[in-house]
Amino acid sequence: MDGPRQRILEATYACVARWGLSKTTIEDAAREAGLSRATVYRYFPGGRDELIDAVVSWQFLLFFVSLYEEVHGATSLEEVLERGLVFARRSLVEHEVLQKMLETEPEVLMPKLTVESNRTVGLVAGFLVPYLHEHGMAEGVEIHEAADFLARMILSYISSPGHWDLGDPEQVATLVRTELLAGVVGELGPALP
Amino acid sequence: MRHLEPYCLIVGGVRLELVRDTLSGESLDEPEFAATPARVRVIDGALACIARQGVAKTTLDDVARAARCSRATVYRVFPGGKDAVLGAVVDTEVSRFFSALAVRMGAATDLEDVLVAGMTEAATRVSEHGALTNLLVHEPELVLSQLAFARMDEMLALTCAFTTPFLGRWLDQAESRRVAEWAARIVVSYLLCPADGVDLTDAVQVRRLVRQFVLPGIRALRVPQGANGLSPSQGTAVGVRRSLQSNRSLPTTKGEAS
Repeated sequence: MDGPRQRILEATYACVARWGLSKTTIEDAAREAGLSRATVYRYFPGGRDELIDAVVSWQFLLFFVSLYEEVHGATSLEEVLERGLVFARRSLVEHEVLQKMLETEPEVLMPKLTVESNRTVGLVAGFLVPYLHEHGMAEGVEIHEAADFLARMILSYISSPGHWDLGDPEQVATLVRTELLAGVVGELGPALP
Repeated sequence: MRHLEPYCLIVGGVRLELVRDTLSGESLDEPEFAATPARVRVIDGALACIARQGVAKTTLDDVARAARCSRATVYRVFPGGKDAVLGAVVDTEVSRFFSALAVRMGAATDLEDVLVAGMTEAATRVSEHGALTNLLVHEPELVLSQLAFARMDEMLALTCAFTTPFLGRWLDQAESRRVAEWAARIVVSYLLCPADGVDLTDAVQVRRLVRQFVLPGIRALRVPQGANGLSPSQGTAVGVRRSLQSNRSLPTTKGEAS
């Protein structure tokens, strides 16, 4: 995993963190990685665009790996969602590079993030299916459709919580039991304090 | 508020049709076209240009040609030039969008209908919007940067402000706000990332989604409130709530197995 490709990704990320997305060039990435330009092109024949896309994908993957680690000890579907929402929101808010780019170059970042998050809907849904299966579904609800719906909503709340405060455990518990799960697994009743 | 002027213009009634006709072009006869205010003609001209060639490639000359007026007229109405025209286009389209939504939601007769009508209309308007769909393909950064993170929060707040009153016939204010925001999330998500077999421009499919996922969530939302009583800030709404209680059509009866 720690081959040249990984080294290039890490080097590019370091450049992006320092100078931003649009100012990072193949030369910068190569220099930072201690490799030649030709080597970078061998791993990323599509050039700069492919490289930047790969960095965004890789960061997305890292994020979801840490999210998975955060929730995988949870014992119930509700707990998975609650821990996941709190952790994911906090990670986004505290992600300095992401926040900086959102402020300085959203027009470069957003199309890439949208493409990634559309791919992510499937990943999150796939992750939820076993939990839904174990929990049992409300009558007449198809599990994959429900997982897809849940994944969309989760990504929406993480990115833009609207009036919800995802730092407040009580609100998160309410959100999970109402807008997320009520129609999917049946109503769960108020959260226990 | 910036939205006020075009909003009033359109809520005024007939004029909305007139404005829309200029977009589709030829059906409007000359006297009627001439009677359309220059401001509206410029805005619709700009919209037609954007639908054809995007924002970056649209010049004020293009706009003037599409609006069938001179470049000087465009500058007279919008001294700020292209940026000012684009700002007015956004404001006008936002206003038209919410006006259309208001018409649909205002005609609904129960909670399920108001949600289905609002979501279907919103999805249809967006997917049939020539300028918007062109931008999503060719200049996606202009649109997408508005639909995530803090900008999306602003968009949700705006949607709430416009649509909450239409839910108020069946829900109290706090519930209305929640549900308005939630419905907006659902629409944006399915529009930006289409799902197999879910087409939100089809009212039948929206109704299924609403029955399956949204109405149970609304019922679950109000359970704890009923149990704990209302918070002081909601106290003034108690009377209204009670008076609505009798003719409030709770979605439980709307034929889904629970």
